[in-house]
Amino acid sequence: MATASVATRFVPVAAQTGAEIQLAMQRLWLTGRVLAAGARLFVHHTFRSGEQKPLEVVYAFGLPRDAALRRFRVAGEGFSVHSELKPVEEAVRAYEAGIEEGRLATLARQYGDGLVNLTLGNLRPGETVTVVLEVVAGVEVHDDGFRFRFPFTLAPGYHRQARAAAVAPGAGEIELPEDEFGDLILPRFAADASGLHEVGFDLRLWMPQGIQEIGSPSHGLRVVQEEAGHGRVLLAAGREVPDRDLVLDARARDGLAGVLSGLDREGRGRFWAVVPSKSFGERADGPRQVVFVLDRSGSMHGKPIEQARKALEACLGALAATDRFGLVAFDDRVEAFRPALLEATMESREQARQFLEGVDARGGTELAAGILEAARMLGGEGGDILVLTDGQVYGTEGIIEQARSTGARIHCLGIGSASQDRFLALLARETGGVSRFLTPRERVDLPAVDLFASIGRPVAAGVEVKLEGIPGGQIAPQPPKAVFAGTPLIVFGDSDGAAKGRLLLEWESGQLAAPLEIGPGKLGETLRLLQGARLITDLESRVPGGEGRGAAGRRQEQRLDKRLEVLSQAYGLASRRMALVAVIERAGDRPGELPETRVVPVGMPQDTEFASYFPGPPPVGAVAACLRRAAPLVLPAAQWSLRPLEAAAIEFEVGPADLLLELAAKIEPDGGMPGEDEEERVQAAILALLCLLAEGHTERRGVFRSHVARLMAFLETATHVHPVVGEIIALARQGGCLKGDWTRRPAGPGLWAELEEALRES
Amino acid sequence: MKSGRNQPLTLQELAAEAGLPARTVRFYIARGLVPGPAGAGRGAAYGSEHLARLRVIRRLQAKGLMLAEIARALGGGKPEADLPEPSAWWSYPVANDVVVWVRAGQSPWRTRQVRAALEQMASRLAGSTEQEEEEEDGNR
Repeated sequence: MATASVATRFVPVAAQTGAEIQLAMQRLWLTGRVLAAGARLFVHHTFRSGEQKPLEVVYAFGLPRDAALRRFRVAGEGFSVHSELKPVEEAVRAYEAGIEEGRLATLARQYGDGLVNLTLGNLRPGETVTVVLEVVAGVEVHDDGFRFRFPFTLAPGYHRQARAAAVAPGAGEIELPEDEFGDLILPRFAADASGLHEVGFDLRLWMPQGIQEIGSPSHGLRVVQEEAGHGRVLLAAGREVPDRDLVLDARARDGLAGVLSGLDREGRGRFWAVVPSKSFGERADGPRQVVFVLDRSGSMHGKPIEQARKALEACLGALAATDRFGLVAFDDRVEAFRPALLEATMESREQARQFLEGVDARGGTELAAGILEAARMLGGEGGDILVLTDGQVYGTEGIIEQARSTGARIHCLGIGSASQDRFLALLARETGGVSRFLTPRERVDLPAVDLFASIGRPVAAGVEVKLEGIPGGQIAPQPPKAVFAGTPLIVFGDSDGAAKGRLLLEWESGQLAAPLEIGPGKLGETLRLLQGARLITDLESRVPGGEGRGAAGRRQEQRLDKRLEVLSQAYGLASRRMALVAVIERAGDRPGELPETRVVPVGMPQDTEFASYFPGPPPVGAVAACLRRAAPLVLPAAQWSLRPLEAAAIEFEVGPADLLLELAAKIEPDGGMPGEDEEERVQAAILALLCLLAEGHTERRGVFRSHVARLMAFLETATHVHPVVGEIIALARQGGCLKGDWTRRPAGPGLWAELEEALRES
Repeated sequence: MKSGRNQPLTLQELAAEAGLPARTVRFYIARGLVPGPAGAGRGAAYGSEHLARLRVIRRLQAKGLMLAEIARALGGGKPEADLPEPSAWWSYPVANDVVVWVRAGQSPWRTRQVRAALEQMASRLAGSTEQEEEEEDGNR
């Protein structure tokens, strides 16, 4: 793409000498196409050596959700070569042989947690080489559109056996245990990302339903609407620093529903079908059992924990008296509010609120321990766990393994500018739950309440999906058994060729048949790759972690490795077992020369405090070095180009949502509002209901739908208090609302007359 | 694999003897944990001192030391130069005729504080000339 080949220079220059300050990787540029079914991405890495020696440059990054590496192209002066897919050992041998011969060698190898090392060896002095890596990735799909996330930086994470330290002022290192992560090289984490490589993007979005809206909570966008359903999205600022993920939201006109299909290269039919949760009808209100799990690890310090606390308070307000709940906070220790589940009485919810007030961020992230404690509370009776976390942990396969064994359904709300989206999506999916993630620039509380309203009560359970009239039709991976409000059911599959048939859905309380047409379009190859990446990611999450691996564990690992290799080969995608390698012979290659290793540093995620991972004073040697450099400076030695000055802090305006959250948190277990006597409680409930209705929340729609439903249920039992009550219920049922501002109106004897007046006017 | 300890080894052989990937050995050399080879090009050779050093590193790692600590423990290690931190100072041109220098590598809260102050300063200096305001907006 044109934008990618324009090599804009983003190189700091020393003012006195004019010499460039060297960055081994100068630029990371993202192009490609994003659909609701997933994305086909091209990540352009520009490497340049300004040093006197040949370099071996290592860049580390984390895969997006449901992603796999397809191939890369290495291009430089006089060459452009594609990678080959080989078993890891073979690929490493080919790479090493290339290095020894003095050739330009490139290796893309995946490790645990979806971490990848892209290594480029024998980059010559003055040489510029571009590696364009093709990545196939999934997106977070909602009923009305999707959210796409791409990691521009790598978040540091917690691991019990990891070692972390500040090795220089503002620079931290993490080392992971070798038995679990092999020779993975992690980057240095820079507190200040402004001197690092530049990042940017130029992406195309396509929605056959038509695009209603494109937005981003992470980056300023320039959106170019092209023909119907097509949009082009560019970084408004031209370039950015690597200190947060890219997040894009796309909403479809009239919601997502339907099928994407086509024929792959071998002529097999491929399809991706999306069935909105609305198609499954209404959920039945029944008692729920929910345990909230709050991450209080050090990386949540500040805004994230504050937001998560607020979110939980509002969720507590949505509990009915028949519900039972638990509350667990964890860092490297687990602290439960009470050892067992509690009835959601006014008293217990108030105590839970007080418990939350005392929860502060500190310590490590023993997520598995928190989940196990929550599962113990549920006592194997089924139930749901809602986890609020930034997911900044390593060794995620082990956590997923333990979570799966509990049998509880886990829902995740990921928080942070570089949260481990891949991990949290897997954790939820592998346990039958749903996940959402948010960036620090967004509110956490409203989405938490929204997510909470849908969990515990799936709109459909025991879902079976079948194909009818599709020759050779197969579905893979298996779709989830339960569907939750707001999250559609996704079905990937293939067939012998183009076909017209039906998709049959059956669940406990209903059934549905949708026409399924697999057309001859060109999208088939993309869908095949997306399906492959999904299958590989799912399988990789089942490879047991390194800790406490017995002989049986190792045997299982070998079996899974074999399957992974087969899957990788079948889809032509890299995995933990298969790596990508390319070796290029250039004129004048000098065998035996030792390239000097340079590891590309990354920026700390914007909202994660450097000190939360890399505490303590820097080592003595490093301080001395810094002083030597800094002290003699009368005039500064380096001239940097103008950098964007960031907004100092992200503050949220107090708007109607805050008032609603406040009201929601006050709702009592019977659905009424607090008051001196019945009349006052009923009046307060009416006022709360009117406030919610005025902001567009109804029994079925909006973030506060379960709060509205509970207020209405309470008012149903109170129609004897005053005739107005029944009228307001009827009005609310019809989707109406009373005119006027009821937000700050106190309850009192005069209110009935005011309500009657307003009812007459409506 | 060569049995004689005095035979010079290639990098690949050294790595195999030490039970480490070759890339890791190169990484250690670049960090100054292990000395470079004697000779250059095809003649580059590693000996028993390299192997011994790699074993010491493994032992210290098993004790829980990080590479940065091992580098210090072994005396030396390369100076911290591979992070692009060429100067301890950043320059912020806040107006066409004003540049402010800020020490790099401060804690995130301090950085935010400084940047907020710079922003204020920039907007004050910009006065109300529309062109400069536009420039500022474009930078966000």
